[in-house]
Amino acid sequence: MKRLVPTGEMTLGPFFPREFGLGANDLTSVGGVRAEGEVIEITGRVVQLDGKPLDNLILEIWQADREGRFDNPKFFGWGRAATDAAGVYLFRTIRPGALRGRAPHINFLLLYSGLMRQLQTAMFFDDADDPVLNAVQPAALRKRLIATRNGNAYRFDIRLRGEDETPFFDD
Amino acid sequence: MSETSAISAGFIERRDPRTQSQGVEPGYAHTAQRWPSQPLQRRPLTAAELSGPSGLTRRLAVTGERAASPQRGDIAGTGDKRAIGQLIHLRTRVVDEDGAPVPGAVVEIWHCNAAGRYIHPNDTHGAPVDPNFYGAARLVAGDSGLVELRTIKPAAYPVPDSAGWWRPPHVHFSVWGRVWLSRLVTQMFFPGEPLNESDAILNAIRDPESRARCVARLAPTAQGPQDALVYEYQIVVRGRKAASSLP
Repeated sequence: MKRLVPTGEMTLGPFFPREFGLGANDLTSVGGVRAEGEVIEITGRVVQLDGKPLDNLILEIWQADREGRFDNPKFFGWGRAATDAAGVYLFRTIRPGALRGRAPHINFLLLYSGLMRQLQTAMFFDDADDPVLNAVQPAALRKRLIATRNGNAYRFDIRLRGEDETPFFDD
Repeated sequence: MSETSAISAGFIERRDPRTQSQGVEPGYAHTAQRWPSQPLQRRPLTAAELSGPSGLTRRLAVTGERAASPQRGDIAGTGDKRAIGQLIHLRTRVVDEDGAPVPGAVVEIWHCNAAGRYIHPNDTHGAPVDPNFYGAARLVAGDSGLVELRTIKPAAYPVPDSAGWWRPPHVHFSVWGRVWLSRLVTQMFFPGEPLNESDAILNAIRDPESRARCVARLAPTAQGPQDALVYEYQIVVRGRKAASSLP
């Protein structure tokens, strides 16, 4: 069978409906069922080349549960947040466990005006031995994918372009 | 629907860059501030990239009043609540790279009103708001991969501070496929619009055939409803029909 060509991606634009961006950033319960595990907060600021923070940028995440599984009916590992006028996003979630061959991590996807395609990156909890983290070249960039811990809060800032630019993946 | 639809690595393949939007576009100033300057990294694909999220409506509610048929939406309204503009029906089919429908695919659709104004507070364009038009719907594809939206045709509008760039009429789509890497955000265009020829976003796709697939087809008017034009559009998300599961 002839393989179809995937539709071309295009920018989300600046006017993604506000209510679409809200109400999906808390992964600690689904359908009234609370997930088991350590509740954490992930926050960060998203900026562009000139350092200006980006408002109404959409971040989506996908992660495993505390045991490294994606098929837990009590935990749905997908969430979405929008940045505020200060460029800041927030997720409440459960700290993921390691999955087979992978260190604990959270996959991030960014959508915004001026991004013609989605940007993919990943957040790690420490400097782990992980095949995706190890694939980042040069190695000095890897620390930019490791969140900073403060109690139950993790900080993961994202710079789209410029000095200290976050590494992004193309799959 | 299963909690996780995992598929093996061969089911997601690299795309031909000519069929995809470019990163930095000369006619689109924001791209030079926001698209990474460094080459994108390559990573091995694992269960994290090749699984779910399926069952997304547990976190994202379907909009509108017709929860019984979430594949259909109506944001045009009727009677006193009818939005101003040309009535259209958008029939959009979500398929994978095998052409197989993706039932259960969540589809978000939004566009501006018939004067070229979005409801969003960040839209400072001087065109009027239509009190009967909000302009956003979240639907779920049926067994044939189809979602149908009754709405009005959006207008063209000028891009602020752009030296004469006008966006052609277009409709935004945000779609989930079978796995994380199937995620697709794009825009649909209308056939025969002169502004399509110069739009920096549509023309960021260099391959003419791929670009043409971003333009909807007008269905024959003799077959459609008497009061609306019908546009047909197909979205191809990455991946093939799930075959084998990851361990």
